[in-house]
Amino acid sequence: MRLTAWIASVWRTCFRSGAVERDLDDEMRATVDLLADRYVAGGMNPAEARRAALVELGGVEQVKEQVREHRLAAPLETILLDLRYAWRTLWKAPSFAIVVLATLALGIGANTAIFSVVHAMLLSPLPYRDADRLIFVWSDMTDEGYPRAPLSGPELDDLRARSKTCAAFGAIWANTAALTGDDHPEQLRIGRVTDDFFNVLGAEAALGRTFRAEDARPGAAPTILLSWPVFERRYGADPSLVGRRILVNDRPTTVVGVMPRSFRLLLPPDSSVPDDLQAFQPFPAAMTQGPRGQQFLRVVGRMRPAVTVDQARADIDGVASTISRAFTEYGASGRRFVTVGLQSDDVREIRPALVALFAGVGILLLIACVNVASLLIARAAARRSEIALRLALGAARVRIVRQCLIEGLLLASLGAVAGLAAGWCALRAVTVVRPDALSRIELASIDWPVALFTFGIAIAWGVLFSMAPLTEIYAPDLLPELQRTNRQVDTLRDGVRRTLVVIQMALSVVLLVCAGLLVHTLMRVQNVDPGFRADDALTFRVAIPMQRYRPIAGFNTFARNLDEALRRIPGVQGVGAISHLPYDDLPNWGTPYLADAAMDDASAPNADARAVTPGLMETMGLQLQEGRFFTEADQPGQRPSIIVDDKLAARVWPGRSAIGQHLGVDPGSTGRPTVNMTVVGVVKHVRLRSLVADLTEQIYFPERLILRNPMAYVVRSSRDPAALAADVRAAIAALDPNLPIYDVRPLHTYVDGARAARRFTALLAAGFAVVALLLACVGVYGVMAYAVTRRRREFGVRLALGADPSRLAVAILRDGLTLAIAGALIGVLGAAAAGSLLRAQLYGVAPYDPPSFLITVGMLGVTCLLASWIPARRALAASPMEALRTE
Amino acid sequence: MAKPPAEIMKGTLDLLVLKTLELEPRHGVGVADRIRQISNGTFIVKPGSLFPALHRLEEEGFIAGQWSETPEGRRAKYYRITGAGQRQLASEKKNWARIVLAVGLILESE
Repeated sequence: MRLTAWIASVWRTCFRSGAVERDLDDEMRATVDLLADRYVAGGMNPAEARRAALVELGGVEQVKEQVREHRLAAPLETILLDLRYAWRTLWKAPSFAIVVLATLALGIGANTAIFSVVHAMLLSPLPYRDADRLIFVWSDMTDEGYPRAPLSGPELDDLRARSKTCAAFGAIWANTAALTGDDHPEQLRIGRVTDDFFNVLGAEAALGRTFRAEDARPGAAPTILLSWPVFERRYGADPSLVGRRILVNDRPTTVVGVMPRSFRLLLPPDSSVPDDLQAFQPFPAAMTQGPRGQQFLRVVGRMRPAVTVDQARADIDGVASTISRAFTEYGASGRRFVTVGLQSDDVREIRPALVALFAGVGILLLIACVNVASLLIARAAARRSEIALRLALGAARVRIVRQCLIEGLLLASLGAVAGLAAGWCALRAVTVVRPDALSRIELASIDWPVALFTFGIAIAWGVLFSMAPLTEIYAPDLLPELQRTNRQVDTLRDGVRRTLVVIQMALSVVLLVCAGLLVHTLMRVQNVDPGFRADDALTFRVAIPMQRYRPIAGFNTFARNLDEALRRIPGVQGVGAISHLPYDDLPNWGTPYLADAAMDDASAPNADARAVTPGLMETMGLQLQEGRFFTEADQPGQRPSIIVDDKLAARVWPGRSAIGQHLGVDPGSTGRPTVNMTVVGVVKHVRLRSLVADLTEQIYFPERLILRNPMAYVVRSSRDPAALAADVRAAIAALDPNLPIYDVRPLHTYVDGARAARRFTALLAAGFAVVALLLACVGVYGVMAYAVTRRRREFGVRLALGADPSRLAVAILRDGLTLAIAGALIGVLGAAAAGSLLRAQLYGVAPYDPPSFLITVGMLGVTCLLASWIPARRALAASPMEALRTE
Repeated sequence: MAKPPAEIMKGTLDLLVLKTLELEPRHGVGVADRIRQISNGTFIVKPGSLFPALHRLEEEGFIAGQWSETPEGRRAKYYRITGAGQRQLASEKKNWARIVLAVGLILESE
């Protein structure tokens, strides 16, 4: 009853206020008439009667005001009045409103965009059932050069059998498979998974089912689980596909199900399992019987309820020491596992960068809000007489405070809306420039939590900066304020604004220096020599179907024919093939190696292993330091030969020539360096996995001897990549029309990809820093322009008395520069602290990198001078007479 | 007038207004006249305090206003009590009786 009455009152106040007011007017007029009639009847003349009636009523406006105050919606009504007033004041000064809103849109928009990324990547749980119970297990092979290496099949079995804290373990290994049987052969990136992998992960199929134990039994019919994109693109999302058979690697394979459109495999970025695998096939159960040294499984575990990651880690460490004792294969050093929570490990690499960016946009918002506060103070100063008048007429101070608050909140709400729009655009832009490694950014969107965050910070800042003008209004005592000269008051107020500007300057220096450090790091990384020529080369992958090209001689003949066909394409200068391209996301392949057969082979160090065809090293531009490259003569029947990098040569045979030396290696991934091979060449170390840190030695096997399939081909030509790709496809189709090629892209895109994460953070940081500098510049301009306007009269007098205009200009510029210097000094200290926090993100650049600091300070000085120059010129351009007439 | 007009106790104005409207609709001036009349001039309600009360009672749905003509031919806004107002009046009467009883008990004690 009461509530509905209140709502009705609010509704009338908001939407029917015109009618309600007219009705009240009418009632008052009628009442006065009624009262006046009585006085006339008592013998007064109409004019006197009317006056007496008004006296009896107590004044029409007063009664109306009391009626309004007693309405149920009265509190809301005054707020609406204040809002309307605030809106009108904004509307009357559109340039002020635009500057404030643009400033807020920049500050809030940047925060919204970065928060949506932080929310999607750091705060939201992984999209799996009870994701906080998922762990990821690595084997720790730090001594061999791989701190985070995969596990072998028997080790997965050990974990399943011996762990008490985990309910289940599943594993995955990324591979490829060919879809054939129609006119468009296609190579898919598939995940080979244990039959319970999706149960462990807690992900369901959208259509059909995931795998079951019987799919992995020996002799089971082949099965495949498709991703939604493949299902949609290749099969037109036809649900009857589930249960039918398709040709996978030329074998009829039953489609058991399709994963949901939203399904993504979010494993740690260094696990070499791409986010967007196109299909899944089960491992045969016998996979767990493989040798203990054959490590290829990426293992996910599901902890039992109420088990913490620390407990699971202790438990799994226990399993590691048990099997270290039980199996001689591990030698003296034994086996160690690294157990991590899947959620925290997924974002391990990107978290520091995101946190730094988030801090950066926080500073940006601070600068924006300082600007708005400063503008509001300036405006409050201009409105001081209006407010003094209202106070003198008896307006309650609370009323004025409330009005300031409402103005601030109105600005903040408008700013939040503008910020949401700006954030949406910024997020689109971020998604466009995001590196491949950060594909989870696509999950970021402006959803409810993000919108709430945006409005939250807008309202909080709205309250804060609406208080700024109160320093103007809320003078403890009005009288001394009025007795002060204008100049004294101005100096006091100026102090506040100047302090704000200095803070802004300091904050922008911090942002600029950090951005400078990141940009300088990026330049360093751009200049790193990867050890091969990445330009003018097209790459693609091809998996030659073993079933069709049997026996192995047929396979090799086909590979050679393919080589020849590529070489015959016009404009091609070189052709070669390699098992792993630099910076690709294939599972890495390493080999233990031993120079001395007498040593304990369990403690053999690991080297990066790649198989290459003759011609690959020449085509990629590797630098030969000693011996020779591979030739067609390196084939079965000859003495097995390998090429090593200078790093391995220096480590194993220091001071001696490596050529002709023997090395025990493990090309077949048995886990033990059992095959003896002869070194025929030494090449310069190539940065294959990371541009900035690559410490493992490298061993190259001749592909003709150690077969790898699929292979990545590198075709060197200065021709346009698209035209060349068309010729390559035609050449391969002429050899075998059923052979799909995939990952067709220029070699340099892999190198670009390796730099992408750094370019991304540097780009964003630089963007924020420039915006911050612009905002700080607006702040300086505001203060200087205001100060100059106020001193126009003084300048006019001084100019009229014959002062030298250039000296006046210098005085104004010096004033601005003082602010800049104060800001720069504080900022440099802050930047030194921030720089050391950024240390992990830097490469080849010290946290106190002189160029970053010098350029920043220079930029600040120049922009500050510019911002003071414009008002200074305006002041001096005015004629003395005009200047004297102002005020 | 022997005694000066008394101030209306806080919270009782609503009760008085509802009571004067119980029998027939009246306009604002009419309500003020009636209160003065039946209290023998003890209570003089100024329109300044009467109109806010009338408007709030109308908002709460206890009375309803309607434009009509006075016997003298003037247009005026007449208020009539609604069903909800009747119930409110009954409960306020009861409330008032309790207050009177309680105050009386306190004053008669000792």
